[in-house]
Amino acid sequence: MRLTVDERWDLIDKIANQTVKYGVYRHTLKDAIAELTVKPLTGIPFAIAVLYGFWSFFCAFAGFFTDGFLVKLFDNHWLPWLQEVFPGKGGWVYYILVGDPMADNCFEAFGMLTSGLFVAIGVVLPAIVAFYLFLIILEDSGYLPRLAVLVDTVLHKIGLHGFAVVPMILSLGCNVPAVAATRTLETRKQRFMMATLLAIFIPCGAQLGIMLEVIPGYVGFVMIYLLAGFFVLGFILNKLIPGKSPEILLDVPPYQMPTARNVMRKLWVRVRSFFTVAIPFVLLGVVIVNIMYLTGFLDWLADVFEPILCGWFGVPKETVGPLIAAFLRKDLAVAQLSAIEMSTYQLVTSVILVSLYFPCVATFAMLIKEGREGGWKGVAQYLFGSLATLIVVVFLWGGLVHLIWIILGVA
Amino acid sequence: MDTNAKFMIGRMYFSIFGLVVLGIGAAEILLGVTGRNLEWGIMEMSGEFLLWRGLILFFAGAFYLSSIENFSDIHQQAKIVMASMMIWIIAGMQIFSMILESIPGGEEGGWLNTFEGFLATYSAPYIPSLFLLPFSLVVLYYIKLLKEVEEKRLKEESLRTEVKA
Repeated sequence: MRLTVDERWDLIDKIANQTVKYGVYRHTLKDAIAELTVKPLTGIPFAIAVLYGFWSFFCAFAGFFTDGFLVKLFDNHWLPWLQEVFPGKGGWVYYILVGDPMADNCFEAFGMLTSGLFVAIGVVLPAIVAFYLFLIILEDSGYLPRLAVLVDTVLHKIGLHGFAVVPMILSLGCNVPAVAATRTLETRKQRFMMATLLAIFIPCGAQLGIMLEVIPGYVGFVMIYLLAGFFVLGFILNKLIPGKSPEILLDVPPYQMPTARNVMRKLWVRVRSFFTVAIPFVLLGVVIVNIMYLTGFLDWLADVFEPILCGWFGVPKETVGPLIAAFLRKDLAVAQLSAIEMSTYQLVTSVILVSLYFPCVATFAMLIKEGREGGWKGVAQYLFGSLATLIVVVFLWGGLVHLIWIILGVA
Repeated sequence: MDTNAKFMIGRMYFSIFGLVVLGIGAAEILLGVTGRNLEWGIMEMSGEFLLWRGLILFFAGAFYLSSIENFSDIHQQAKIVMASMMIWIIAGMQIFSMILESIPGGEEGGWLNTFEGFLATYSAPYIPSLFLLPFSLVVLYYIKLLKEVEEKRLKEESLRTEVKA
């Protein structure tokens, strides 16, 4: 049977009349909440609460596994066993793989199988699981796109867009998954900008935790100072770097309850990629640092930078050691700073320098990995671009804080 | 009791509760800014994120108070739900971290905590949000009430449509 166009439309009308119910659409409670969470006046306070929840969950979850079990496992069982059974104590292979034979914890051993594995499995892995778990729940519940809409206007000023908030949040836990999360940004310019900004200005969770113990009264100031730097440098990079910063059209879904199956599946996919991609890079990074130690290259660096640290930044020369250690673990570096005799303002400056200074080895390795998409040229651009930016920022932003103390008459 | 009276009681309840939440939030902000702690009986206002908790409670209190006008409106109710959720986030995370803290044995202890150590984790003092938590749960009743009102309205509307037809 063939129908004419009019007959087809008549048939459609008939079916629609029998199946579609017409009425006035009224808001449900869920719709009203969905609207309020994207309005700045109500959305920003709620976002603060969600981010507080995010952060508290991260501290509790990662602390439970790292401090509760993994530190004990690595320090009391793995390290002593490895020190006992590994042959060639004192040799360079031993130093690279196991590290300092006198070390009594994996924090200070600096070997690939000790500090390297401890950093990757004992510290970063619980942090990554905690962050991805919460992030996936936010994503699946429909809150993350709303958060992206909320911060979109602000981030557009520096050439990024709302979804840049994901690596920013992740970075507060660990910079490694944060650098990987920059892949969600559209252009190479945005990805490079975001990776550079977070590697320089956003301290990781472990570092923040130690900062809260070492300079509890000044963490707020340090964070505001770093955040200001984030936006100032972001604005400058946006003007300097060629490339596009496109607008995005966000589909904001309705709120819904995340399903356990989906959450676990997504979590597994993301954690699996960390195992296969990030861990080898972290271990390689530790090997490189150890070789630099063994060849005396790091000592040479310390001698070269000593006058600059004391003169330009106004911090004692002893901070050279922690700054070098910061390449492996920034939290360890902050803890080491607390053992050096200096004024509170010098301590605050040193903590800011540790934050701004070279990204930790794991982040550094991720920067190389992310640059690979453009081949060796891409790696070189990513790495040297980030490093050049970093050197300028450390000098200017680190020097500025010294200048602030001089103006205030405390330095 | 008719629905209007129930909404009237809710309005009074949340205006008092909102004032309490706002006051506690303001006190925590003040203590956070000045770097002081306060312990009052089994309640304490201290800790690393005192200022943030204060800010969240302050805004939650403001949300409660701003939804008193036209209380039964769905957007106003949504604000109350959001304010309660903000309290649940703080209190929930506090309970979650207490549970996780109570399980491992500590730096010098064994793998798992002793029974005394386990119980000690749950002892007072507690942060104000834990005390506010049960009072904020009243919102669940109003969510249910709003749902009932909505269902009743939809039923009446469909009846009217049927009569017209």
